[in-house]
Amino acid sequence: MSAEIPVIELRNVDKHYGPLHVLQHINLSVGKGEVLVLIGPSGSGKSTLCRTINRLETIDSGEILIEGQPLPQEGKELAQMRAEIGMVFQSFNLFAHKTILDNVTLGPREVLKMPKDAAEKEAMELLTRVGVDAQAHKVPAQLSGGQQQRVAIARSLAMHPKAMLFDEPTSALDPEMINEVLDVMVELAREGMTMVVVTHEMNFARRVSNRVVFMADGQIVEEGTPSEFFDNPQTARAKEFLDSIRGH
Amino acid sequence: MSAHTVSMRDALYEAPGPKTRRRTRIITGISLVLVAIGVGLIVRQFYVTGQLDAKCWSFFLRQGTWRYLFNGFLGTMRVAATAGVISLVLGVVFMLGRTSGIKPLEVISRVIIDFFRGVPSLLLIYFFYLALPQYGLRISAFWMITLPVALAASGVLAEVFRAGVNAVPKGQTEAALSIGLTPGKTMFKIILPQALRIVVPSLISQLVVVVKDTTVAYVVSYPDLMQNARVLITNNDALVQVYFVVAILYILVNYGINQLSIYMARRSGNPIISRTTENPT
Ligand SMILES: Nc1ncnc2c1ncn2[C@@H]1O[C@H](COP(=O)(O)OP(=O)(O)O)[C@@H](O)[C@H]1O
Ligand SMILES: [Mg+2]
Repeated sequence: MSAEIPVIELRNVDKHYGPLHVLQHINLSVGKGEVLVLIGPSGSGKSTLCRTINRLETIDSGEILIEGQPLPQEGKELAQMRAEIGMVFQSFNLFAHKTILDNVTLGPREVLKMPKDAAEKEAMELLTRVGVDAQAHKVPAQLSGGQQQRVAIARSLAMHPKAMLFDEPTSALDPEMINEVLDVMVELAREGMTMVVVTHEMNFARRVSNRVVFMADGQIVEEGTPSEFFDNPQTARAKEFLDSIRGH
Repeated sequence: MSAHTVSMRDALYEAPGPKTRRRTRIITGISLVLVAIGVGLIVRQFYVTGQLDAKCWSFFLRQGTWRYLFNGFLGTMRVAATAGVISLVLGVVFMLGRTSGIKPLEVISRVIIDFFRGVPSLLLIYFFYLALPQYGLRISAFWMITLPVALAASGVLAEVFRAGVNAVPKGQTEAALSIGLTPGKTMFKIILPQALRIVVPSLISQLVVVVKDTTVAYVVSYPDLMQNARVLITNNDALVQVYFVVAILYILVNYGINQLSIYMARRSGNPIISRTTENPT
């Protein structure tokens, strides 16, 4: 894995929101097929970091490379690159005025210029895979949160992304729906999808992630394998954080 | 948890209890009595002054009267429909300029919007009617009334559309961009369709304003309903009677527009307001 070019690479990335130095000298690389879990207290910059990778947020300095290529800044090239990186949001963000099926086919039809039939056939396969094919002709508001999030994953997959970003995909869900979404993500990981996942789900991290990165106050404070990090955190900040999410 | 939809009515009012229901009945009763007294007084006054005499209404029995009114009605509809369509298109164009993110374009759009919003449509009509011909620009009476009405409405509509676009959650844009849609496609495929649904009620009120604005067509001598009514009044010496009929026609048109909007809202009535699509913080 180390010999290959990383799918995602951040070099010395800095970003400010006014006086707030939200990302500080971030260096990070994600190899092909790697599942990286990003963890840390609220407000530490995890979402911002995730969003810079497909340029929903711009950066002040540093470099972001996708398969060795610098992130385009605008236009068709940027749109093209975004199409190659899936993103799953905390609040699902399904297109509220479109049916589930249309949510999934929109990208392939508009961006990949797939014919309608082919796009719908593939979309139905994806919806079957995430277990919401029976809802294909409903609108998002008629689905449960867990179903909506699985559709959101299918919508990303329809673009055949090189990597997928998940920003707290289960945080907005009722507890009984968390696992149905995590199961889909576990399966994706097993199939070799390159993933960056912001989550506090420790079991998920232990089961599928290769590496856990701990962020606090805009910095990467610590990183390691899931067992290294969860069982034997090195820094006081990480210990404190782990205690807090374990409910001690 | 099943996704659940909140209707506007449920959100604003709770179901009335027994006390409220009794109060409602009493207020309804009093209102009806007051309205009846008012109508009675008006009818009596008309009766006393002879306005209800058969000879004052008999010209409505002539086919020509109705044909003339109907032609005026068609004129009004032509102006209102054309102005409505133009103002919708221009409203979207100005709104896109105003939110384009390109500074000079934003400033220009903003000035245009504020100008058309701020200037009374009658003033615009005088501009087209009196000022333009002096510079050799000749347009028909139809356009002299239609363009000013359309322009005045377009400024308001641009702001209505902008409010609608702002009301679409930010996550919709982000999701659209993240699957590789360009900003333009994101606007036309994702944001505008949702914004339109949000602003349908305001669009309808604006359409009613357009219909009412056309009533100054007499300034440019365009034969709309109002202009033809004035001719009838002079010829038959029947001001109350003609305006009574004309008012009913205008009310019917605007009632029709409202019914149409309710029908459209029902038809496109996907339950898009839902707990689960709101942005958690
Ligand atoms: N658009 C913005 N403007 C200003 N400050 C922001 C903006 N977005 C996030 N922030 C701030 O940046 C910090 C990091 O936010 P975020 O990346 O969302 O953290 P996390 O996802 O780790 O909770 C927070 O303090 C937040 O208030
Ligand atoms: Mg976050």
